[in-house]
Amino acid sequence: MSFVPGQPVTAVVQRIEIQKLRQGNNLILGFSIGGGIDQDPGQNPFSEDKTDKGIYVTRITPGGPADVAGLMMGDKIMQVNGWDMTMVTHDKARKRLTKKNEDVVRLLVTRKSLEEAVKQSMGGFPRP
Amino acid sequence: MPVDNYTNMEEKLWILEDLNMMYIRQIALSLQDSDIQKKIDHEIRMRDGACKLLAACSQRDQALEAAKSLQTCSTRIMAYMSELQRMKEAQVMQKVTRRSSDAGPMDDRLPCKGKVAISDLRIPLMWKDTEYFKNKGELHRCAVFCLLQLGGEIFDTDMVIVDRTLTDICFDNTIVFSEASPGFELRVELYSCCSEDDYSAGSTPRKLASKLSSSLGRSAGKKLRAAMEPGPCSPVSNGGAAPLLLPVPSVPGPKYHLLAHTTLSLSHIQDSFRTHDLTISGNEECSYWLPLYGSMCCRLAAQPHCMTQQMMSGCLKVKQCGGDPQSWTKVYAVLKGTSLFCYHQQEDVEANIEPAFTIGINKETRIRASEKDPHSKVQNICISNQYGGEEVTHTLTTDSREDTHCWMEAFWQHFYDMSQWKQCCDDLMKIELPSPRKPAPVTPKQGSLYHEMVIESSDDLSSTVSDILARRMQELELRSQLGTSPTWMSVFEENNAKSAGRTRHCTSRLSGHSPCTPHRLPRSPASPHRCPRLGLLSSDASLTSDSDSHCSTSPCSHHHGWPEPSSNFSLLSSSPSRLRPRTLSLDAKLSTLRGRGYGGGGAFQCPCQPPPSSLLAPLPISSRSPRTQRSTQTTLSCSSSTSSNSSSNSEGSHSPESSEGVPFSRPSPARRSLRNLRARLDPRNWLQSQV
Repeated sequence: MSFVPGQPVTAVVQRIEIQKLRQGNNLILGFSIGGGIDQDPGQNPFSEDKTDKGIYVTRITPGGPADVAGLMMGDKIMQVNGWDMTMVTHDKARKRLTKKNEDVVRLLVTRKSLEEAVKQSMGGFPRP
Repeated sequence: MPVDNYTNMEEKLWILEDLNMMYIRQIALSLQDSDIQKKIDHEIRMRDGACKLLAACSQRDQALEAAKSLQTCSTRIMAYMSELQRMKEAQVMQKVTRRSSDAGPMDDRLPCKGKVAISDLRIPLMWKDTEYFKNKGELHRCAVFCLLQLGGEIFDTDMVIVDRTLTDICFDNTIVFSEASPGFELRVELYSCCSEDDYSAGSTPRKLASKLSSSLGRSAGKKLRAAMEPGPCSPVSNGGAAPLLLPVPSVPGPKYHLLAHTTLSLSHIQDSFRTHDLTISGNEECSYWLPLYGSMCCRLAAQPHCMTQQMMSGCLKVKQCGGDPQSWTKVYAVLKGTSLFCYHQQEDVEANIEPAFTIGINKETRIRASEKDPHSKVQNICISNQYGGEEVTHTLTTDSREDTHCWMEAFWQHFYDMSQWKQCCDDLMKIELPSPRKPAPVTPKQGSLYHEMVIESSDDLSSTVSDILARRMQELELRSQLGTSPTWMSVFEENNAKSAGRTRHCTSRLSGHSPCTPHRLPRSPASPHRCPRLGLLSSDASLTSDSDSHCSTSPCSHHHGWPEPSSNFSLLSSSPSRLRPRTLSLDAKLSTLRGRGYGGGGAFQCPCQPPPSSLLAPLPISSRSPRTQRSTQTTLSCSSSTSSNSSSNSEGSHSPESSEGVPFSRPSPARRSLRNLRARLDPRNWLQSQV
């Protein structure tokens, strides 16, 4: 999912809504992120395009809020509560997810399987 | 004399106001609607209170808040009064039409109402880069808030102080309007008021103020003058050119002006965030001007009542087409949202038991009345849906013709609602009611894209880390004292006291301050000059060249003793050119040991304790536990990245998961792929943060 500078980015996205879990004084989401415009994109094991500097989900705590909401490892996060995540530093991404005054984060994520699903449903399959 | 005219005007306005109040009361009486009358009275009282508060308060932010309530009350009063007038007009028109023509039975179907919620308002600003980065000149601050109006309901958001260190104006409030019709118009207005600290225009006498404004600098004086007199860019703050029924009393103090507005309607509703255009009023010369980017981002959601409430319920008999013609199932059916829920008994509804079955009612559903049943002379209702290419028909029947008629009516109404609310009826959108939580700690500044430097941390980790560090230090000292240390330890003997002291110092610092501070400290110079002597800096070798962070490995490791270096590190090349200053000499020792390739001792089982890992909070902690299953040695090294300038890198903790070339463990292929993934997820190569 690379981008061409100057052209709009299009992707098939899924909306995922995660309710943060309160643990003491912290609100946790239960996943880890990697990536960012200040990180080396070549090290990203999940991206197809090794120049993609987007934010990817690298790990999901089983049973955590993100797992319950349907987030999967390898998802690329495009938006968090309306804020763009395709062109942010790693720390900025982390901060956008961990705002203390928000109980809910609404993510737009994309993954390869979504595109496949759309292609299949559009292409049609032979009916009996 | 201008002052006399002013008081004269005021008196006239008061008289007008009293007359208008009488007029309004008369209208309200004639309409026999005391509800609006009460609301108007309430708002007028609130407004009077706000005026008094404004006159009395001395602090700027109090004055701003009071002025905001004043603005809201005035707008509400205007809204109620126009509502009142509209009702009066409608009443008069009705009488007229009734007299003039016998209008046919008005069979207009009204769509159901719904809840509309707007949240996460964000308005981006567009400062000139010279203003933003170089921070030249005095800080021009404005207080802004949003007024949202839908039908007769008006709400305001909290007030936010904006200056040029902010890139966006964010309003955290969620505003819910309860009774909105599908043709609603939600008007969003952004009001702003210049908030200079020294210009309390109301208090300085005019002569002195004019002297001040002429003697101050150009830009400061200009602002002061603008704040003093209502210039050309301060429109009448209660809504425009319409003749005022209740003029706003002019009170000295901050005045809000309309900066931008927009109107949202049904087509803007979506279950996600969208950007809308703003119409900006005012220009650069006004004191309340802010360089808006011209758009607004928000989440507008709606829950029509047909989706959330039971539209119709009753007893029915249902038969599925294609089944036994005599097999009618008695159910208690509830029409809600996009389905007809059929329960076995009425009690199941309250008991939240799963319905026996559900018939979908959506835009694709076809409902028709079939011919009369020969037995009971009652019409049946047929509901057909397409389920993946197949058409499934259910037939419903009731006990009496009136019931059938009611159900058909309910279905038609439901379809009408869905056609009116359009995309809101596809799925139920979530609306969170603003929870009454305790007032959040006032953040001194909202986030700015470029200058945020706060690194959050969890205190638990810091204490664990310092504990472990202390333990390591003790073990180290013990070992050296016992004299069982291997020969190479002598290299460090002379530095031991120094390093131990320093490390302890560092530890105490760790426990004393919040964890982020140690990383801001300049790394002690002890290590660099030691490194060239020893010539090996192995653990950093795998760091990518892109990362700018100063990394040093600190001894948070769970070594039990020295002769346990990871054999992996013999494979890592050392790059002496990558000298990095390190505070803690213990890590230098560690790296030396590894570099010397002390492995050959085979694989030592390293008890990877639940790692205290990093000194900064967000960490992939649990990712390390699967690694304990592996027999290879893993050393835990904490890396900290200092950020002394605006790029604040949070740190990830590493367990130097070695590369694939470990000689003595042969995991199964499945585990190898998992290992590969985990290896590639090595935080030393690619930073990860836990959220």
